[in-house]
Amino acid sequence: MNKELAVEAISQQKVFRRLLSYAKPHKKSLAIAFFVLLISAVADVLGPIIVKIFIDDYLTPQLFEWKPLLILGIGYISLHLLSVTLNFYQLFSFHKIALWIIHQLRMDVFGKVQHLGLAFFDKTPGGSLVSRITNDTESIKELYVSVLSTYVQNIIFLIGILTAMFILNPSLAILYLIIIPVILLLMKAYRHFSSKIFHLARQKLSQLNTKLNESLQGMNIIQAMGQQKRLQKEFGKINDDHYQANIKQIKINSLMVRPAVDFLYLLALTLILSFFGINSLNSPIEIGVLYAFINYLDRFFEPVNMMMFRLSQFQQAIVSAERVFGLLDEKEMAPVNEGDSYPTIEKGHIMFNNVTFSYDGTTNVLRNISFTAKPGETVALVGHTGSGKSSITNLLMRFYPITHGEILIDGVPLEKYANDELRKKIGLVLQDPFLFVGDVKQNIRLYNKEISDEDIIEAAKFVQADSFIQDLPQAYDEPIGERGATFSSGQRQLISFARTMAIQPKVLVLDEATASIDTETEEAIQTALEKMRKGRTTIAIAHRLSTIQDADLILVLHKGEIVERGTHQALIEKKGLYYNMYLLQQGMSKE
Amino acid sequence: MNIFRDLMWFFKMEKRNYITGVILLIFVSLLSLIPPYIVGIIIDRIQFRTLTIVSLVEWNLFIILLGAFLYIFRYIWRLKIFGSAMRLGRLLRNHLFEHFTALSPQFYHKQRIGDLMAHSTNDIQAVENTAGEGILTLVDSITMGSLVIITMASVISWKLTLISLLPMPVMAWLTHRYGDMIHERFFKAQEAFSSLNDKVQENISGVRVIKAFGQEEAEKEGFSRQSIDTVQKNIAVAKIDSLFDPTIQLIVGLSFFLAIGFGAMFVVKDELSIGELTSFTIYLGHLIWPMLAFGWLFNIVERGRASYDRIQALLHTKPEIVDKAHSLPRKPSGDVTYQIDSFTYPEKEHPALSNIHLTLKQGQTLGIVGRTGSGKTTLLRLLLREFDIKKGDITIDNITIYDYQLKKLRSTISYVPQDHFLFSASIEENISFAKPDATMKEIETVASIAAIHEDIMQFNDTYDTIVGERGVTLSGGQKQRISIARALLMNAEILILDDALSAVDAKTEEAILKSLQQNRKNKTTLIATHRLSAVQHADLILVLDNGNIIEKGTHEELMLQHGWYKEMYNRQQLESLVEQGGVQDE
Repeated sequence: MNKELAVEAISQQKVFRRLLSYAKPHKKSLAIAFFVLLISAVADVLGPIIVKIFIDDYLTPQLFEWKPLLILGIGYISLHLLSVTLNFYQLFSFHKIALWIIHQLRMDVFGKVQHLGLAFFDKTPGGSLVSRITNDTESIKELYVSVLSTYVQNIIFLIGILTAMFILNPSLAILYLIIIPVILLLMKAYRHFSSKIFHLARQKLSQLNTKLNESLQGMNIIQAMGQQKRLQKEFGKINDDHYQANIKQIKINSLMVRPAVDFLYLLALTLILSFFGINSLNSPIEIGVLYAFINYLDRFFEPVNMMMFRLSQFQQAIVSAERVFGLLDEKEMAPVNEGDSYPTIEKGHIMFNNVTFSYDGTTNVLRNISFTAKPGETVALVGHTGSGKSSITNLLMRFYPITHGEILIDGVPLEKYANDELRKKIGLVLQDPFLFVGDVKQNIRLYNKEISDEDIIEAAKFVQADSFIQDLPQAYDEPIGERGATFSSGQRQLISFARTMAIQPKVLVLDEATASIDTETEEAIQTALEKMRKGRTTIAIAHRLSTIQDADLILVLHKGEIVERGTHQALIEKKGLYYNMYLLQQGMSKE
Repeated sequence: MNIFRDLMWFFKMEKRNYITGVILLIFVSLLSLIPPYIVGIIIDRIQFRTLTIVSLVEWNLFIILLGAFLYIFRYIWRLKIFGSAMRLGRLLRNHLFEHFTALSPQFYHKQRIGDLMAHSTNDIQAVENTAGEGILTLVDSITMGSLVIITMASVISWKLTLISLLPMPVMAWLTHRYGDMIHERFFKAQEAFSSLNDKVQENISGVRVIKAFGQEEAEKEGFSRQSIDTVQKNIAVAKIDSLFDPTIQLIVGLSFFLAIGFGAMFVVKDELSIGELTSFTIYLGHLIWPMLAFGWLFNIVERGRASYDRIQALLHTKPEIVDKAHSLPRKPSGDVTYQIDSFTYPEKEHPALSNIHLTLKQGQTLGIVGRTGSGKTTLLRLLLREFDIKKGDITIDNITIYDYQLKKLRSTISYVPQDHFLFSASIEENISFAKPDATMKEIETVASIAAIHEDIMQFNDTYDTIVGERGVTLSGGQKQRISIARALLMNAEILILDDALSAVDAKTEEAILKSLQQNRKNKTTLIATHRLSAVQHADLILVLDNGNIIEKGTHEELMLQHGWYKEMYNRQQLESLVEQGGVQDE
């Protein structure tokens, strides 16, 4: 158990160090902020010294000359104003730096995610990824704000106060130093005990939320099976555990934070009083110094309270940072090109050579797939769900690395092509046309600067989308909301066609929509598809066999293997699987 | 402040804790006024050289003793007040949960689970805060604030008190202004953060498109722009946030300056001693917290008010489905008869069902088929009383189901819903959900009937395998079969399968149906399905369309009718052939 704790402590230290390394680029502004903080602290600490001078040199001996008094007064006020202004500046700077550091961390993790392979996205729920990029980094922000502002500031402040005490009365200051180890010990003890309880409380809270969430989701089952009473009892139990953990937290906080620090304060006060009191018995002492010490004492304990208070946040931030770094260290990268020959795709000749593929490394979803698509030809893939159609297009798009065999484009292995070249020359049309928030134009162009407005309109015209876009109130500038919900599925499909055609690809990969499309756009879509395929090598996944009757080659897939191949006519005559599928769809269209 | 009145029932319930807590809190305020006073006395004695070693030791011991008491009192009041607040949270959470279990499906249709979760977490926390921190700030700002001021004015000097408090209202006003400003800016920063969240969400959902078009770099740029926007809006918040401390520092400094300056004048005039002046400045320091607390109090109370209202609104939602007065306390048993003239969902215009009249003898099987949205599920849900019929009736054993106790009615029916929901627990716990004390043998028997036993034995932890959101991922078919086993364990007279085999392959389906027939002799079964083969053996098959029965009879009868049923049946035969990758006669 202890060993485990030690390991945990080391990994926490590592995470902490890695987090701090993010502050490096801000060295300069950090240095300035530190410097300002230092001056502000000095100015702040000097205040009581001025009052001390006033009390000892003027008030006690009842010596009133207006000139030095005026200087003292102005000195006090201007020092105070200086300290206040600088204090604002340093607080603001540290906060700002923390925000920029988080920006960098976010950019890094987001950038990392962009280059992860699809295999990673398949096994990681989208929600948890989003949460790491935004929420986890947000709670790390708290660490920077509290560490950089609260801790650094308070520690410098404490050092300032101690220095002032040394200047005023070195022997008392040394005596005073005893308090510091006591406080450190208290903090260490608090951290030790509270981290366990804190952890327990968080765990109970998450159990509570899970139970509630699940009960709400399964309420119809609970009610149908008459288990309300039992679930109430179970929830009551978790609720009570949660309560007990919270009470423990209250206890530990009451025992070790404010009340304890306040008690320490009073102890320190007696220390100062005794020291001065005993000294005064032997020789006269300066009342002003006593005043200053008591004043410092008051200021000394507030930062201590603040630092104790922030400890738990610190723990939370470290946990979040561990998760973020875990993502940053992810190894499942998207496949990239091998070698540095950078070939280009000129003709669009595609050849699959004995390709075998598995997503998880155990079950093969594709087995020994071989076929050739000559430039300009259309190869159609048919088969029911799970037969491996989409896997073929996924491989051609190089979304996943091939397990066995090879794919050649223009006679060159797929791996040799640079990403850019592949993305420019192979156009993908997805089954579910994904639209981004923005406007129509942006959705066709994406961020490609090479595409002009004229190109956009031309592409839209080419895919029969121009007419409906022109009818929109703001035509090509029409805003598109989340997932394009305001557009019909057919319109979304047409926009995504235009997006693909705008890059004028040599090879087209089509994943035809299964969902029925509104009749209005159906015709436009069919015409568009025909036009798009003309003169381009096309690999098409077809759900409706009627659309691919003119394909040069139809591959019928079943369980990852090609079970039939040929033209529409040949396959119909064969009276096999394709024929049955065809019959089925003929029947459906009658309905 | 009337949130405190609304919570009075709780304060009364926890009377002793609150009274002890508040009294101790006031006591703490009072006691903490003493040390500064002692400091003043000691300074004066030092100055006038009247201090003796004995009195010094006595005073110091007194402070330490006082400190010890303060420590204990502070510990106790925290435990009393904050502990009570936690109990309020626990109580409200239990109330809400109990109420949730009583509410009808209609409620869950209208409410999003996310919202309900938010009410049960954030809102309860806000109310908890009101009952804890709220009471603390209220008591502290009033008692501590007034006590300190009274002490300063009466014991030391009322003139000096008045003078040095002059800047304090400015502080209250400024912090209030900052509060407003920060609220507005914080809202904008939150908005920026949430659109950053949306951006990431979109990016992750659209990952295929982004990769296909090679948009990774552009996406990074777009993200960077939004992230910078978020940073800038947060910097605007930080600007105001960073004003708080310096402002307090400024005002407090001014107060000190006034206190020392005018205090010195009074000392010269002999109206004040230096010791008193020192005490005075310590008291001044004690005023900062009550001032801040007063500002916070408004915030806490405002939030608590809104949250408590939302919780009350939820607790006052009436369940739509309730027992009639004098309902029968026995389990219904016998023939099931539907006599529905029409049924319309609440807040809908068109009836979901009309003219449904049929009788199902005890032990018979009813098959319900038809397109999506034709009313199959509705027909089943009405029997479970998830909704109540206004025009027409459903009877079991010739007694309307509305006369039975809801609890008894539901204990007669095992239900396998369309959306097979499993809890995050072991498979064993999931199957024994309706009968937690079932033996392992019983569980294995029903699992075998549902054709899931062998699958379960394949898992590493067999029946102890954790499923649900946090457990292993099961296929849709496996979930459905566990959900069937769960219903079977109830061994109820009526079994409802609502499209419960859609994700199971044809062979398994056949096996399950066969063993159901064997194990459920003399028991009634209602099956709604898309796959006609599942109801081929039913005693009565209904074909629904648009809420009406368009065909009715046994499989053989319907096959002779040349209607929807026959056409669909033939098509599905062909479909299953294709699915198996087969060719006829193979």
